[in-house]
Amino acid sequence: MTELELRDLRKTYSARGRPSVDAVRGIDLTLRSGELLGLLGPSGCGKSTTLRMIAGLETVTGGDILVDGSSVIARPAQQRNIGVAFENYALYPPLTVAENLAFGLKARRRAERGDVDHKVKEIAERVDLTAILDARPAGLSSGQKQRVSLARALIREPDVLLLDEPLSHLDAAQRDTTRRELKRIQKDLGHTTILVTHDQEEALSLADRIAVMKDGVIQQLGTPYEIYDSPANVFVADFVGEPAINLLPGVADGDGHARLSDAARVALPVPVPAGREVVVGIRPEDLALTGDDGLPARVLAHEPLLESGIATLALDGVESPLVVLTDPDVRLAHDDRVHVTAETHLTHVFDAETGDSLR
Amino acid sequence: MSRTTSKKRLLGWLADAALILYFVFALFPIAWMVILSLKPANQLFSTYFSFSPTLDGYRTVLGDSEGIPFVRFFVNSLVVSLGAVALSLLVGLPAAYASARWRFKGSENLMFTLLSFRFAPELTVIIPLFVLYQKLGLFDTYVGMVWVLQLVTLPLIVWIMRSYFADLTPELEQAALLDGYTRKQAFFKVAIPLVKPGIAAVSLLAFIFAWNNFVFPLILTSNEAQTVTVGALSFLGGDRPKYNLTAAAALVSVVPPLLLALTIQRYLVRGLSFGAVKS
Repeated sequence: MTELELRDLRKTYSARGRPSVDAVRGIDLTLRSGELLGLLGPSGCGKSTTLRMIAGLETVTGGDILVDGSSVIARPAQQRNIGVAFENYALYPPLTVAENLAFGLKARRRAERGDVDHKVKEIAERVDLTAILDARPAGLSSGQKQRVSLARALIREPDVLLLDEPLSHLDAAQRDTTRRELKRIQKDLGHTTILVTHDQEEALSLADRIAVMKDGVIQQLGTPYEIYDSPANVFVADFVGEPAINLLPGVADGDGHARLSDAARVALPVPVPAGREVVVGIRPEDLALTGDDGLPARVLAHEPLLESGIATLALDGVESPLVVLTDPDVRLAHDDRVHVTAETHLTHVFDAETGDSLR
Repeated sequence: MSRTTSKKRLLGWLADAALILYFVFALFPIAWMVILSLKPANQLFSTYFSFSPTLDGYRTVLGDSEGIPFVRFFVNSLVVSLGAVALSLLVGLPAAYASARWRFKGSENLMFTLLSFRFAPELTVIIPLFVLYQKLGLFDTYVGMVWVLQLVTLPLIVWIMRSYFADLTPELEQAALLDGYTRKQAFFKVAIPLVKPGIAAVSLLAFIFAWNNFVFPLILTSNEAQTVTVGALSFLGGDRPKYNLTAAAALVSVVPPLLLALTIQRYLVRGLSFGAVKS
């Protein structure tokens, strides 16, 4: 279908008398036809600005956007054929669902009247809206509104589909079902899609590849597994993963370990020259409580969450607390003494100064 | 009976009494006007309540007798007020939309200038306007009146409609743009239909302000384009002031705004409460 390429895409907001702001600083991305790419990052990282530039709702101040090899940045939004499902759905309140869907088709006068009805019916079946075609947006649940919004973006058969925080306004139950629906529909129809989100779960579960963004720059691009297994820097490691990764400052001692304190030493997965300041990253799920060997620690808190538990520990001599995912049958109390070990090959090590991975 | 309920009841009576008092206070001038308009000329100055009611006052006013063409003044008021509102909508809606959606160079200054038309007293500009109108041939014309009333209606329409447009999420129009609509179509087909209740409410307010304006027609018209507000006072001229005729004329001139308010009441309530209740 359609390939989308961003070349050194930039956006600088400048206003007279104020310092200019670089919202997006040179993004390079190539989406294969039919691929779903997740743009993941905290608010203000430039992900929404990127999306709006692709849609044509924001001017481009540098770089290029190519749809199937031809630049679209000179074209206004109405000539780009890009579908957007907005975060707030943006449905027209006075129109019914069917009219909302038809509204978009009528603009280009592409379709005859009978054809419009046919297309509305077709997309309604795809997205499971047939029962609510005559309802007005005000009477719909958030999940239904999201599906209408998606259907409206899809009905024009856009070259590229953009989803802006599609699940953020849904409650937990609706989020799960809508997410699965979204994945199925996207795979069925095969649109090249960009999903913008701050929610890692959304990105991990839906996207073929994820681009993690911060301060207008892509920090890492890869499959969900690559992002999770080998984070490129401290930011990515910290942003992806729930509960968040433990990041412990230490100094490499030259014989394959990092010293966190006088009492605590952790084996490193790669050799690091002695004396180098590092940050050791260990995910809570890669830590285990062991009998007598391992690092000695004191229990600060334990949250039994039934299918697993979360223990917060204080390693002897280390300031930052350590979060450990425990087995369901583990019972711990405040001030209990335990020992904890890490899987060395799953441990991450970053340069303390640059934050980049040393693996 | 407990003390609190009797206390509550007493407070209720007091509140009722206060409301009735206010009701009388508010309606008394109108009642006085109605009585005055029904009095025959020879009983005008009697302070006794008893009089023989007659519709002669209304007949005289609407029959254009006494040499005062009141019906023409009435028509003038209609033409001039409706014209002023129409022109303000034509110019003001796009202006309100633009200022709600974009911050451009000088946009705030422009809006403030518009607002300043409202709080500057009309009397400060009326003398130069009078001279200008004489020179330009706008004196005592419909065009001149519609134009000068923009000082009254335009700021109102622009400022109120601006907040209506600002309340609409821009994504609604952006979605239309992505669907292939042009900016102009997005404005007319998406934005305008959604602010219809606001347009109804603000048009009525603007109409009332234009209709009730006194200073501009007083100075800038003499006969051809004179409106009811000034016209009604003509009955006070001459050797004997005819208060009954003035009262009748004033009451007749209340009818159009009242009718208009009643017909669009439904929109008015929705329009004025817009924004308070988020859709």
